[in-house]
Amino acid sequence: MSEEFNKIVATAVKNQEQAAELVEKLFAVAQPGAVYGEPVTVGEYTVITASEVNVGMGFGFGLGGGSGRGGRRRRVSEDKPQDEEGEAGIGGGGGGGGASAGRPVAVISVGPEGVQVEPVVDPTKIALAFFTTLGSMFFMLSKMRKARQG
Amino acid sequence: MKRPKDMFKWQTISGDKVTVGDVTVTPQSQALTIRWPNGGLVWNRPAAVLVERGEQTERIPIVDVTRIAQLGLLGLSLVFTTMAIVLSVRRRRE
Repeated sequence: MSEEFNKIVATAVKNQEQAAELVEKLFAVAQPGAVYGEPVTVGEYTVITASEVNVGMGFGFGLGGGSGRGGRRRRVSEDKPQDEEGEAGIGGGGGGGGASAGRPVAVISVGPEGVQVEPVVDPTKIALAFFTTLGSMFFMLSKMRKARQG
Repeated sequence: MKRPKDMFKWQTISGDKVTVGDVTVTPQSQALTIRWPNGGLVWNRPAAVLVERGEQTERIPIVDVTRIAQLGLLGLSLVFTTMAIVLSVRRRRE
C-alpha cells in the first residue's frame, strides 16, 4: 500500500512539474517575436507581418486515499477471517486544457517610399459582428412592438 | 500565493531591430499576461513600429481595423439596447 502510494505521488509530482514547465513555455508568447514575423525581402521591399496572439491554458491534479476503521475490520461471520484487513484505497487524477489563436493585424513594408503599415481587414469577422448587431436590433424592436401592443 | 502584481502584467516590449538601407525599424508589442497557480493566459498584440532614419525617430501606430469595427458594432448594439429599454420604461410610466 505504502509503496503504491509513493509511486502514485511520485507520478503526480512529475506530471505537475511537466505541466508547470509547459505553462512557463506559454509565457514565451508574451515576447514580440511571437507577434512579428521574420522579415521577408522581395526586390526593393522588406515585409514584416504583425499578428495578434492569444494563448491560455490551465491544469489541475488531485490525489486522495483512505481506509476503513484504521485498516482493520471486526469479524462479521464465520466465513471471514477474524482480523481481516479493512478496505483501503488510493487514487488520483488530473486534467488540463488550453487554446491558442492568432490573427493577422497588419503588414509592415519597408521600401523606397519609406515605411508603410497596411492593416489586414477580416471581412468575415466584421460581417459576423454586423449580422449579430442587426439581429439584436430586430429582436429589441420586435419586443418593443409587442410591449406597445400589449 | 502570488501577489496580484505578479499575477497581472501589462507591458510594452520592443523587438529586434530590422535595418533596411538607411531605415531602422523597431517593432513594439503590448502583452497582457495573467498567471494563476495552475495556468495562465497571454494576449499579445502589435502596438507600433519605431522608424529611425538618420537622427529622426517616428512612431507609427498599428491600428487593428477588424477589432475597431467589432467594438464599434458592439457599442452600437449596446446604445440601441439601452435606448430601447429607456423608451419602454418611459412609455410604461406614462
